[in-house]
Amino acid sequence: MGVYVIRRLIWLPFLVVIVTFITFAMLRLGPGDPVQIWLGQHQNDEVRERIRAKLGLDDPLFIQYARYMEGVITRLDFGESFKFRGKSVREVIGTRILVSMQLNLAAVIITLGVGIPVGLLAALRQGTGWDNLIVSIALAFQSLPVFITAPVMLLVFALHLDVLPTSGWGGFFSPKIIMPAIVMGVPGIAIVVRLVRASVLDVLGQEYVRTARAKGLPELTVRYRHILRNALIPVTTSFGFILAGLAGGTFIVEIYFGIPGVGRLSLEALNARDYPVLMGFAIIATTFFVLANLIVDLMYPWLDPRIRLGAGHVA
Amino acid sequence: MLPDRSGLSTRDSHAEQLDWAESELSGDQLLELDTQPIRGHSYWSLALRRLYRKKLAMVCISIIAFMYVGSLLSPLITPYDFRAVDLQNTRQGPSLAHPFGTDRQGRDMLTRVIFGVRTTVIITITSLLGGTLVLGVVMGLMSGYMGRWVDAVIMRTGEVTSSFPEILLLLIFVSAFRPRLLTAVQAFEDATGLDWIIRLGVLDFMIISVGLAIFGWFGMARLVRGQVLQARESQYIEAALVTGASTAHILRVHMLRNILSPLIVSVSAGLAGVAGAELVLSWIGVGVFPPTPSLGRMLFENGSPQVLLNHPHLILFPIGAVTLLFFCFNILGDAVNDAFNPRTR
Amino acid sequence: MVLASFRLLILPAMLSLLVLVLACGGGSPPETETSPAATEPTPTLPARAAAAPTATQSAGDAGTSAATPAQAPTRESVPGQPSTSGAVPTVAPLAAPAAGENCAPSADLTFDNRPPQGGTLVRLYADPPSIDPHLVSDATSSVITNEVFGGLVTLSLDYQPVLDLAESCSVSDDGLTYTFVLRENASFQDGSPVTAQDVKWSIERAADPDTLSTTAETYLGDIVGVKDKLCTEEAQGAGECTIADEVRGVQVIDDRTIEFTLDAPKAYFLAKLSYPTAYVLDQDQVTEDGSWLDRPNGTGPFRLAQYDIGELLILEKNEHYHLGPPHIDSVHMILSGGTAMIMYENDEIHLTGVGTDDLPRLLDPNDPLNPQLHRSAQDFSVFYIGLNVNDPPFDDPKVRQAMNYAIDLSGIAENVLDNRVSQATGVIPPGFPSYNENLRGYTFNPDLARELLESSTYADALASGDFPRITLTISGSFGATVPTYLEVMLEQWRALGIEIDIQQTEWATFLQDVNDKKYQMFSHGWIADYPDPENFLDLLFHGESQNNHTSYSNPEVNRLLEEARTERDRDRRFEIYNQVEQMVLDDAPWVWTWYRGEGYALIKPEVSDYFLLQMSIPKYRYIYFNK
Repeated sequence: MGVYVIRRLIWLPFLVVIVTFITFAMLRLGPGDPVQIWLGQHQNDEVRERIRAKLGLDDPLFIQYARYMEGVITRLDFGESFKFRGKSVREVIGTRILVSMQLNLAAVIITLGVGIPVGLLAALRQGTGWDNLIVSIALAFQSLPVFITAPVMLLVFALHLDVLPTSGWGGFFSPKIIMPAIVMGVPGIAIVVRLVRASVLDVLGQEYVRTARAKGLPELTVRYRHILRNALIPVTTSFGFILAGLAGGTFIVEIYFGIPGVGRLSLEALNARDYPVLMGFAIIATTFFVLANLIVDLMYPWLDPRIRLGAGHVA
Repeated sequence: MLPDRSGLSTRDSHAEQLDWAESELSGDQLLELDTQPIRGHSYWSLALRRLYRKKLAMVCISIIAFMYVGSLLSPLITPYDFRAVDLQNTRQGPSLAHPFGTDRQGRDMLTRVIFGVRTTVIITITSLLGGTLVLGVVMGLMSGYMGRWVDAVIMRTGEVTSSFPEILLLLIFVSAFRPRLLTAVQAFEDATGLDWIIRLGVLDFMIISVGLAIFGWFGMARLVRGQVLQARESQYIEAALVTGASTAHILRVHMLRNILSPLIVSVSAGLAGVAGAELVLSWIGVGVFPPTPSLGRMLFENGSPQVLLNHPHLILFPIGAVTLLFFCFNILGDAVNDAFNPRTR
Repeated sequence: MVLASFRLLILPAMLSLLVLVLACGGGSPPETETSPAATEPTPTLPARAAAAPTATQSAGDAGTSAATPAQAPTRESVPGQPSTSGAVPTVAPLAAPAAGENCAPSADLTFDNRPPQGGTLVRLYADPPSIDPHLVSDATSSVITNEVFGGLVTLSLDYQPVLDLAESCSVSDDGLTYTFVLRENASFQDGSPVTAQDVKWSIERAADPDTLSTTAETYLGDIVGVKDKLCTEEAQGAGECTIADEVRGVQVIDDRTIEFTLDAPKAYFLAKLSYPTAYVLDQDQVTEDGSWLDRPNGTGPFRLAQYDIGELLILEKNEHYHLGPPHIDSVHMILSGGTAMIMYENDEIHLTGVGTDDLPRLLDPNDPLNPQLHRSAQDFSVFYIGLNVNDPPFDDPKVRQAMNYAIDLSGIAENVLDNRVSQATGVIPPGFPSYNENLRGYTFNPDLARELLESSTYADALASGDFPRITLTISGSFGATVPTYLEVMLEQWRALGIEIDIQQTEWATFLQDVNDKKYQMFSHGWIADYPDPENFLDLLFHGESQNNHTSYSNPEVNRLLEEARTERDRDRRFEIYNQVEQMVLDDAPWVWTWYRGEGYALIKPEVSDYFLLQMSIPKYRYIYFNK
C-alpha cells in the first residue's frame, strides 16, 4: 500500500509534464496560427513572420516549452493572452474558474437535493408502480436536451412570469443563478435517484437494519438513522464525480444564460488559438484530474476492502 | 469533457474504478453460475427472461427497433425528397401536405426528421464498430493477461491519454486529418463508384471514432483488465493452461466470454450516448454536413426561445424524436443492467 | 456491492453529460444561429467570428451597422414594410485634397442644443480583442477604441474624413506633404494637452516592431520612413530596408504643428489616418505604467472606467472632450452574453439586433414593438464564394459564370432571409465611394447557366458524369452552422447537374488554408477598412495581392489597378475602378452573394440619436435620453 502510494506520487509530475507537453506540441503543430487571427482579413506573410519571430513562436518546440514551464514553475506566470491582448492569463482565467465552480456547486446541490429524497422514496416503494414511475420520470428528464429546457425556462420564468432575471452573473446567492443551476442540475437527478435507490435497497438487506427493526425502533428512526445514513456513503463519494461531470457541460448553459464561466472562455480561446490561455487550462485541468484520480484510488480500498491496490501485478 | 459515445466510461476515474469493482462482482456471478450444472446457458437465458418481464423496457425496445427499421427504409416511406427546397413555402406550420410543417428552406420537416433519425442510426452503428470498443478490449486483454511490463506500459499510457483535454485535441486532430482523408476518400469514391461515404457522414464518424478511441479507450481497457485478472486466477484457466491451450485460444474462448456480460451492459447503456454524440460532433463542427439531415443540427439551429415562440414546429418535432430515442435507450440500458446484474435489483 | 450499483449510474451519467455537452454545442445562441444574415460568423473579422457563439453578435452589431441618412439625426423607423432603397446614404466621393485649402472639414461638435443630459445606455457587446488602438484590427475592438481614443482625423457620420484633434490641415502642391495644426483645446482625458510630440511618438510606437501591430503597414505604410521603422534585422540583411529609430516622414514643427511626408500622392491617405492605428496615446502613461490599458488616458469622448473580461465594460463621459462632452453619463456593455431578445423585452438592455425568427412578428404594425424596429442599411462589406480559377472545373470562365447565373439570390433573400441581406450586384456596396449602379451583374437565369455549361470545355464531362468534384469550404467556429441560404444554393446548382460537397473548417484553420490558396471553392467576405474603392478592388483582385485568394490574375486589371493607385483626379480614378469592377464581374472569379449587415435593430423609444451606421465611427457622444 505504502509503496503503491509513493509510486503514484512519483509518477504524478511526470504525467503532468507528458500531458502538458503533448498538448503544447499539438497546439503549436496543429493547423491555425494566432498571428493569422490577429491579422484577420489583412493577411500579410511579412508581417506575420515578423510578429511570430518577436513572439518566439518560431523557436524550436522544446525551447518554447521549457521557457513556458519555467515561467509557470518559478513565477507562477502563465504568460499573456493572445486573444485578450495585453491581459495576463491569470487575469483572464482566474475569476472565470470561480464562477464556473460556484455554478457547478449550485447545480450539484439541486441534483442531490432532489435526487436523494426521491431515490429514497423509490427504494421504500420498491416493486410498486411508484418505484417504476419515479425512475422513469427521472430518466425522462435526463433525456430532455438542454436545447429545449433552457429556452422553455427562459420563456416561462423570465419572459411570461417575469420572476427571474434572464441572464448574467451575480454570485452564488443571486437569483440569477437559479435557472442555469436548474437546467444543469436536473438531468443528473436520474443518476442520483438510481444510485440512492440501489444503495438503500442494499442497506435494507443488511443485518443491522433487521436488528434495528427487530429491536422495535420507530420506523422513522430506522429509516433516517440507519438506512439513509449508510446509504449515503456512496453518494458522498459520487459528489466529486458529479461535479467533475458538470464541469464539462457548462458551455451551453453559460451561453444561454450569459454566465462568464470557463466553458465559453475555453471555446473562445480555442477559436483564437490563444495558446497561453489554453495551456493554462490544460495545466489546471490535468493537475486537478490527476490528483482527483489519486484521491479516488486511495479512497476505494477504504470504502471497499475487497479492492486491493496494485492488484494488477499478478505474478 | 466529451462524453464517450459508447458509454464505456472513459476518463473519469470513478467510472473506471467502478467498472472494476463491478466487474469483480459480475465475475463472481459468472463463477457462481459456472458451478451450476447447466453452466453458461442458464445465465444468459435467465438474464433474457428477466429482461422480458420489464414491460416498459420491451415497449422501448420495440420503439427503437421501429425507429431503426423505419429509418433505414426512409427513402421508401418519406413523402418528399429531403433536399427539395420550396422557396414559396418556407417555415410553414403543420398542414395536411406537410404534417410536421416545412423548414427554413421550405423542405418537408417530416422527411427531414425521418432522415435525421437515419443519420443517427448510421452513426450509432459506425461508432460502435469504431475504435473505443475494439481498442479497449484488445488493450485490456493484453494488459491483464500478459502482466508485468506490458501491463505497466499500457496502464501508464492509458493514464496519459485519458488525462488530456479531449475536445481540444480532438478538434485539432480532426482539422488536421479530415481534409487529407476527404481527398483520399473522394478518390476512393471516384474509383469505386460509391457515393454515400462522404454524404452520410461515415467518413466523419470514422475519423471521430478513431480520435475518440485514442483518448477514450482506457476506461474499457481497465474494465477488461480487471475482469481478466479475476478470471486468471480461476480454475478453468489453470485447467486450460495445463491442457496446453494456446494463449490466443484462452483469451478468445475463456476470457472474452467472461467480459461479454459487462460489455453488453455498457453498450446498451451507452447507446443514447452514441446517439447524442452526433450533436456534440455538430458542435465541434465536424458532424454531418448539409444537405444530409441531422437531428443534431436541427436542435442546434433552432434551440432558442425565439424559435419556440415564433416557429415552434421547427424545434418541437426534432426534439420529440431525440427525446424519445434517448429515453428508450436510457430505459433499455437500465433494464439490461438490472437483468444482467440481478443483485443490484 | 453498493459500489457495484454505482456503475449503472455512471453510464447514464455519461448520457446526461452528453446532453449537457451537446448543449455546449450551443455555442451559438439563439438569435445568432437562426439568422444567417447577421449571424454566420463574419469570415473577415476574427473578432466577430469568435464572438459569434456568444450571442452578442447580433446584438453587438446593432451599433456597427448602418442605417440612417447620416446627417439626419432622426432615424428612419420602419412601420410595416421596410424599404431597402433610400435607406442608404449617398456618400460624397472622397475628394483628393486640392493644394492650399484645408484638406478636410472639422468634425461636428457634439450638438449643443443641450438635449436632456445624463443616463446610462445598456447594451450587449462582445469582448474586444484589444483595447490598445495600435493593435486593433477588427470591428469589435474599434467600436471601443473609437470612443476612448482619437487621432488627427476621424470619419464623419457620412463617412468623410474630418479633423478630430487637428483644427486645420494643408497639403503641398505635389500631394506629398500634409501639415496638421492641433486644436488649442485638444487634451487627454486627464486634462493634459496633446502636443505634436505626442502625435509623432504615437506613430512611431505603432510602427515599432516590438509593439506587434498587425496594421501598421496597411495604414501607415504610405508615410516615408515607416517601413524602415518596422524593419527587422533579417529584412535589413535581405536589403529590403534600413533599421531606423524614428519615422523620418513625421516631423514636429512646433508644439501644435506636425508634418507628414508620403512616398507618393495617395488620395486615400486621410481616410487611412482615421483608423485606430494612427490614434494618439499618452507617452508618459504608456511608457511608465505597465497596466495602462486598464485605465487608458485617451483623447476620446468616453473614458474606459471599468473592464472585467467576459463580464462588463463601462465607458464614462469625458468632460474635457474637445468637441464638447457627450450627453449621456455612461455606457454599460454587458459582455457575458445572454438571450438578447428576452433581455430587451424585459427592459434589461436598450438595443438589440433582430433575428429572423422574430422579424415577421415585429414587422406587423400591430405589434407593440413595431415602432421600435429600425431598418439599417447594409455594412460596407461584400460576401462571396471564391472560385479557384486554376482548379478544374473553375478554370473555364463559362463554368464560373454559369455558377453565378444558377442561383436565385433575390428569391433566397426574400423567402429565406427575410430581406435582411441584399443581393451583391458587384464588388462595391451601395453607398460606398465609386459605387456604380450601372454594372452588368448576374441575375437568376438557369437557362443561360445551362447554355454556358454546355458550351464550356466541361460539357462532355458533365454529360458523362465525369464532372470534376467540387468541395465548398466554409468557415465556422464552435456552434456555427451551415448558413441556410447555402443549402438552397447547393440545391440550385444540383439542378444544373453540379453536385457539391460542403466542408466546414473552424476559423483559424480556414484562415490559414485560404491564405495558402488551398481551397477550390470557399465562402468568404470582405469588410471595408476605410471608405475608398482601392480597399475593395485593389486588395481583392490584384494578381499580387495577398487578399486575392482565388489565384485570379488578369494583366489588364492589374495594370488599371496600378494606374489608379497614383491617379490624383478623383473622377478619373473612380472611372478606372468602375471599369475594373466590370471586368472582374465578367471574369467571375467569385459567385457574388450578399451585401449584408445588421438588417434590423430594436431600439428603446427613450434612446435618441443612436445611429445605425455602415462603418465603425465614434457615435456614442450623440446619444441622449429623451425622457
